Amino acid sequence: MTDPQSQRPGRGARFRSGPWRRLRSLRVRLIAVFAAVALITAVSASGIAYWLNRDAVLKRAQDTALNDFRVSLTRNVSALPQNASCPELADLATQVAGSGLNYDVLVVDETRPECLASSDPSRFTLAKVPTTLQTTVGRPREAGPGSPSGYHLYWQRVNLDAPYLIGGSRVVPTNLTAYMFKSLDTERADLNTLGWSLAIATLLALIGSALLAQAASATVLRPVKRLGEAARRLGEGKLDTRLEVEGGDELADLARTFNRTAESLSDQVAELSAREAQSRRFVADMSHELRTPLTAMTAVTDILEDEADALDPMIEPAVRLVVSETRRLSDLVENLMEVTRFDAGTAKLVADEVDIADLIMSCIDGRAWYDAVVVDAPRGIRAMVDPRRLDVVLANLIGNALKHGGSPVRVTVRQEGEEVVVRVSDSGPGIPEDVLPHVFDRFYKADKGRARSEGSGLGLSIAMANAQIHGGTITAANGERGAVFTLRLPLTPPSPDDQEDEL
Amino acid sequence: MGESPAPVGQNEAVPFLLLIEDDDAIRTGLELALTRQGHRVAAAASGEDGLKLFKEQRPDLIVLDVMLPGIDGFEVCRRIRRTDQLPIILLTARSDDIDVVVGLESGADDYVVKPVQPRVLDARIRAVLRRGERENSDSASYGGLVIDRSAMTVTKDGEDLQLTPTELRLLLELSRRPGQALSRQQLLRLVWEHDYLGDSRLVDACVQRLRAKVEDVPSAPTLIRTVRGVGYRLDPPS
Repeated sequence: MTDPQSQRPGRGARFRSGPWRRLRSLRVRLIAVFAAVALITAVSASGIAYWLNRDAVLKRAQDTALNDFRVSLTRNVSALPQNASCPELADLATQVAGSGLNYDVLVVDETRPECLASSDPSRFTLAKVPTTLQTTVGRPREAGPGSPSGYHLYWQRVNLDAPYLIGGSRVVPTNLTAYMFKSLDTERADLNTLGWSLAIATLLALIGSALLAQAASATVLRPVKRLGEAARRLGEGKLDTRLEVEGGDELADLARTFNRTAESLSDQVAELSAREAQSRRFVADMSHELRTPLTAMTAVTDILEDEADALDPMIEPAVRLVVSETRRLSDLVENLMEVTRFDAGTAKLVADEVDIADLIMSCIDGRAWYDAVVVDAPRGIRAMVDPRRLDVVLANLIGNALKHGGSPVRVTVRQEGEEVVVRVSDSGPGIPEDVLPHVFDRFYKADKGRARSEGSGLGLSIAMANAQIHGGTITAANGERGAVFTLRLPLTPPSPDDQEDEL
Repeated sequence: MGESPAPVGQNEAVPFLLLIEDDDAIRTGLELALTRQGHRVAAAASGEDGLKLFKEQRPDLIVLDVMLPGIDGFEVCRRIRRTDQLPIILLTARSDDIDVVVGLESGADDYVVKPVQPRVLDARIRAVLRRGERENSDSASYGGLVIDRSAMTVTKDGEDLQLTPTELRLLLELSRRPGQALSRQQLLRLVWEHDYLGDSRLVDACVQRLRAKVEDVPSAPTLIRTVRGVGYRLDPPS
C-alpha cells in the first residue's frame, strides 16, 4: 500500500521538503511494505474464501429448493385431473408451495392464459418471471438421457427488491407451466455477515502487520539512529564517542567497525596534536631562550649606537651592523613569540574604548610616517579594541603598503553598521593574483629573490591573528591603483573584557 | 611636567635605582645602559639579595624582574609594598599573560616587556619618578579625605595614607576634575605618560589599589566611581 500523498508532489519537492523526506524514511517504507504484503494476502485469501462460500451456500439453497419444487410438483400434478379447472390449478399452486420450504408457486396454463394461479398473487406474478426464462422454459428440448420428457427445469437468480431464485418447468403431459419463486434473503444476509467478518479480519491483519513493521523497524532503526548520533558526535570532534555493541548481527558488526574507526581516528588525532604541540612548544621555548641574550644585547645597543660616531671608521660600520641586526633579531623573536601565543591560544585581548582616528594618528606619528600617509578618518568612531594589538595591525598594514606599494598610502576609516572598516590602499603595482591568497601566510614572500627583506615574514599573519582575536578580519585585494587591505572590526569584540566593577 | 632638564628624585638629584635581575648578561647590560642614561644603579641577582640591598641603600625606584630564582618578583614586590611606597617597574617576559595582572596586583607601578629598549625603560623610569614631584597648589578635601597637593600627602580622617607616587598622581588627576569622567587612555597619558598604546590594566589595577586605601568599603566605592564604557570619576561626597 503506498501512501497516495507521497506520489502527488514533484520529484524535487519530495527530496527537498522535510515531510516528504520523512515519508521516504526507512520506517515508513518498512510499514508500507508490511502493510502491502498483509493486504494482498488477506484480500486474496478472503476473496477466495468468500467466493467459494458464496457458491456453496447458494448452490445448496438452490438445489434444495429446486429439488423440493420438482418433487412437490410431480407429486401434486399426478393427482390433478385432466383439464383441471382454474380453482383446481390454484389449489395445485398452493399445495406445491406448501411443502414447507417457503417458496411461492405460479401455475400457468398456456391454453387458458386467464386461468393464472399463484400461491401468493401479492408476491409472485408472471411479470416477475424474466421473459428469457419464460421462453427457455417453453422451448422443448430434444429428449435426452437426462430428461426423457423433452422439457427441463430451468432456474435463474434475479435481483428485484432482494435476491430471488426463480425456477420454472413445463409440466408434461399437461399444458401447464409452473414457476417457483424463492427469496434468497437469508443466504444473502449470511454472505454479508461472512463478508464483513472477512473485511474485519483483513483490517486486523493490516493493523497487525503495521504494528509488526513498526516493531521490526524499531529494532533495526534504534541501532541505526544511535549509530547516526555517534557519527555526528564524532564529526563534531568528540573523538571519545563509542557505541555499545549488542548481539552479533550485522548492526553489531557495524557498531564494532564504527568503534574501531573512532579509536584509530582519535589515536591519529592525538598523535598529530601531540606532535604539533611539541613543535609549537619547541618554537615557544626557543624564542624564550633567544630572548634572554637578546635582552642583554638590546640593552647595550643604545650605548654602542651613541658611541659609534666616535669610533674608528673601520669599526663604526661593524658596530652599526651589530646594532641594526640586533634590533631586527629582536623584532623577529618578538613576532615569533607573538605567533606562538596565538597558536597556543594564550593571546588575550586587553580591550578599551578608543577613538580609531586617534589610534591611527598615534600609530603614524609614532613611526614618523606622516608625510607618506594620507589619512581620511573622521573622529568619533569609537570601538572596544586592544590599542596595542590594533596598533600592531595598523603598523603592519601601513608599513607593508609603504614598503611594497609606495607612497602615497591612503588610510580611510568608516563605520559600516556595527563594524569599523579601515582601508589601507597604496599606489604600487598591486599584488599578483597568484600571490593574493598567500599574503597572510607565515614567511611567505611575494618576491622569492628578495630573501632578505626588512620584514620578518610574520607581519601580515600577525596582523590577521590580531584582527581575528578582535572578532574581525583582514582582506587583501587589488584596487584601482594598488593593493587594498581592508580591516573590519566589530565595534565591540565578541567577548568584551569588561573590567568594570560597579554601577 | 617634563620641562625640567634634570629629573628630580625623592631625595637626590641623580635617581638611584635598584635593579633586581637574575640573568648576568641582562643585569650587566641594563646596568650599563641605565648608568649611561644618568642613573645611579645598584644591582642584585636574586630576590633575597635585592630585598637586603633595598633595606641597606633605600633606592628611589626598583626595576624588578618577574622570573627570579627563590622568591619571585611578585613576592619581592609584595614584601616591599608592606613597608614602602617607592615606585616599582616590572621587567616581564610577556605583555599579555598573567604576569602583568599578577604583577600589577602585587603593587607594581608600571611594566616593560623584554627585550626592552633602554630608551623606553629610561622614559618609564623618569615618568614614574615625576609622579612624586610636588605641585604648587592648594589642598582639597572630599569628606574625610584631605589631599594636600603642595605637601604631596593624603590624609583620611586625620590619618596619613601611604600612597605610591603613581596612586597619588592618579588621585591628583582625578581630584583635579571632580565629577568628570576620565577614560583609561586619558589617565594613561596623564599619570603614566603612555601614548595610545597604553595598557588599560595599569589603570584598573592602580584604581583597585587606590580604592583599597581611600575608600571606606573598597568593594563598594563611593569616591572613585567606575563609569561604564568610559573610565573613572572622582565623586565629591554630596
